[in-house]
Amino acid sequence: MTSLLASCSVLHEFSMTSQIVKNVLDEAKKHNAKKVAEVHLVIGKLTFLGLEQVRFSYKVLTEGSIMENSKLLIETKDGAVKCSSCGYEGNLSTKDDPLYHMPVPTLQCPNCAGTVNIIGGRECLIKSVKLVVK
Amino acid sequence: MVRLKEVVEAEEGEVYDIELEADLLEANRRLAEKNRELLQRYDVKAIDIMGAIGSGKTSLIEKMVQALTGKYRIAAFKGDLTTTIDAERIERHGAKTVTITTGKECHLDANLVGKALQRLDLKEIDLLLIENVGNLICPAEFPLGADQRAVVVSVTEGPYMVIKHPFIFIDADVVAINKMDLADAMGVDMKKLASDVKRTNPKAKVALTNCRSGEGVKEVIDALQL
Ligand SMILES: Nc1nc2c(ncn2[C@@H]2O[C@H](COP(=O)(O)OP(=O)(O)OP(=O)(O)O)[C@@H](O)[C@H]2O)c(=O)[nH]1
Ligand SMILES: [Mg+2]
Ligand SMILES: [Zn+2]
Repeated sequence: MTSLLASCSVLHEFSMTSQIVKNVLDEAKKHNAKKVAEVHLVIGKLTFLGLEQVRFSYKVLTEGSIMENSKLLIETKDGAVKCSSCGYEGNLSTKDDPLYHMPVPTLQCPNCAGTVNIIGGRECLIKSVKLVVK
Repeated sequence: MVRLKEVVEAEEGEVYDIELEADLLEANRRLAEKNRELLQRYDVKAIDIMGAIGSGKTSLIEKMVQALTGKYRIAAFKGDLTTTIDAERIERHGAKTVTITTGKECHLDANLVGKALQRLDLKEIDLLLIENVGNLICPAEFPLGADQRAVVVSVTEGPYMVIKHPFIFIDADVVAINKMDLADAMGVDMKKLASDVKRTNPKAKVALTNCRSGEGVKEVIDALQL
């Protein structure tokens, strides 16, 4: 079970990364670029994208293209929440599981009895690219 | 020396810095909004049903179709890697079913659902049940435009399911803890699983079910306000 989920999770990064690569190649084509020098991504911490898997997929997917050996910059963004009752804004909180003693994320507001909504941390953004043109 | 203020033609080997600001997940969320608007225009309620492989999603849909036929005109979408087995199971109960083959993808996305919506006559439907691909991780990342999201977990997945995979529950409106008939045999405390869900998402409504016998399915239907 775990290995199945894990492999599916890699598949997830692979498919997201192939969309990223496709978008960048389209952009490069628009500008008649002969090489892509750098790609700058922003990935939210509340996405299911593992950075190692993204980097690995990127390497595999760009091989043999004008993106090969381009620099991949990944900026991460924290999960941001806002309480609909008291207006509290901050990171997604965690609560300890009393039985297994591990922190588990919660939508419970740390400030009042209300619940929070997620307002950030779900990004998978191609922020910018550096293209070498003729 | 004349300095050009604007570079019109790029020099050999010149580097262009291009701000793209293209968010791939945001693109899906925008398509999901479109689906939502379309469904609302035709007054169709849609439920996205997620959960791990074999947790009981199709069984729940079968029981829901049995219970709700007559009250609603029901259609179903089934996201599947390749086969149409689940679609045939649902269709037997009289709900028009469209299989959405996702190929290699481990989740449905709003684009695929938008295409499938074009295959339905929305005037003829009041309720759309969407079975997502069996997977506890990625589907949460891709809203489809449904009004509500339900998650089916089963006790056979063990006692740590919720605390190990909390994020799928963050977006859930209703959670069915299924295969309650096997809880004792599995040594799984269903109350603990229910409180795990509540701790992560206090807004989620939790029902204990046996989707083979139909026990508890009414609670799911009530929780979904159907
Ligand atoms: N004992 C027991 N078996 C169940 C229950 N619900 C479903 N099952 C059985 O579990 C198996 C899987 O159920 P499905 O409904 O096909 O599960 P699913 O989530 O649709 O599976 P995939 O679509 O393959 O991911 C089937 O053999 C069902 O009969 C339950 O409450 N108790
Ligand atoms: Mg199924
Ligand atoms: Zn608050």
